[in-house]
Amino acid sequence: MLDISFWNLVFTIINLIVLYLILKKFLIGPVTGIMEKRSKMIEEQMAGARDAEEQANALKAQYEESLKSAKEESRQIVEKARNEAKLEQEKQTALAAAQAQKIVSDARKAAEEEREKALDGAKSEIADLAVLAAKKMLSGGSEEANRMLYDQFLTGAGEADDTDIH
Amino acid sequence: MAALLVFSLVFLRNLQVENVSKKQLALETAVGFLNDFFMDTLGKEGKRYIPYMITVAIYIGIANLIGLLGFKPPTKDLNVTAALALMSIVLIEYAGFHQKGLKGWLKSFAEPIPLITPINILEIFIRPISLCMRLFGNVIGAFVVMELIKAVIPVIIPVPFSFYFDIFDGLIQAYVFVFLTSLFIKEAME
Repeated sequence: MLDISFWNLVFTIINLIVLYLILKKFLIGPVTGIMEKRSKMIEEQMAGARDAEEQANALKAQYEESLKSAKEESRQIVEKARNEAKLEQEKQTALAAAQAQKIVSDARKAAEEEREKALDGAKSEIADLAVLAAKKMLSGGSEEANRMLYDQFLTGAGEADDTDIH
Repeated sequence: MAALLVFSLVFLRNLQVENVSKKQLALETAVGFLNDFFMDTLGKEGKRYIPYMITVAIYIGIANLIGLLGFKPPTKDLNVTAALALMSIVLIEYAGFHQKGLKGWLKSFAEPIPLITPINILEIFIRPISLCMRLFGNVIGAFVVMELIKAVIPVIIPVPFSFYFDIFDGLIQAYVFVFLTSLFIKEAME
């Protein structure tokens, strides 16, 4: 146990070297390889995730921007449409009012004219009648006839316009 | 020795070949732990020596624990520890040589001051002997103590002692051996 034999030593060393080679080949190499691969993969995935997140953030900002601008635009459009509608309405109202006024005034004017015309017609007719009656009376004839005529005139005048002419 | 070698080989090969996720996970944890441990000591330049250190750690750990199964611990044999120490010192000097070249390596013997060059040269012999003797002495001491306890009281009493002498002491010695070796390698590389 305590004596050192050369060959025993050499055999042990050889055994150790063989063990080392075997372990390195079958245990440590693959395991560390796998572990390194995994850490690499994780790193890659992390990088990928970071990239994706960045991209998503950029897209989100873009969308938000476009959404904001769209909102602004729609607001402007609505505002404009409202203004236009208001303007149009005012215009229409003014136009309608003017037209109505015109129609009313026209109608009034026409009515006035009509009345005047009718008055004139009646006046001239009465004058004619008076002239005719006077002529008849003046032209003589029988008393009877005269009286008849007078009555007739009176009747006609009374019928035509009772109060106006006398 | 050969039996141990075959045992280790089959044991580890089986684990590797099966590659079942849970087993593989345990294996990866173990190897990763050893890997990180040596990485801390050796640094980046010593990366190439890590597999050897892991091998030695596993070897000594198993060799010290195998006594529990009724085998004779291989590290109880002075030849084995001497071989381990021999390989360690070769590796240490090789690491220094590889890192600095022949000139740097020779110069490193006169490193702090030229006066202590003889001591540095002596270190080449002292280091492996101390490694070898520490491991051997601890294991044989534990073995002898265990045998004595077993001779006096064969039942129950040896159990707690076995925990200390076989498991704790064995693992501590394996740890110390590889830790010192990696420390020396690191030192040789600076």
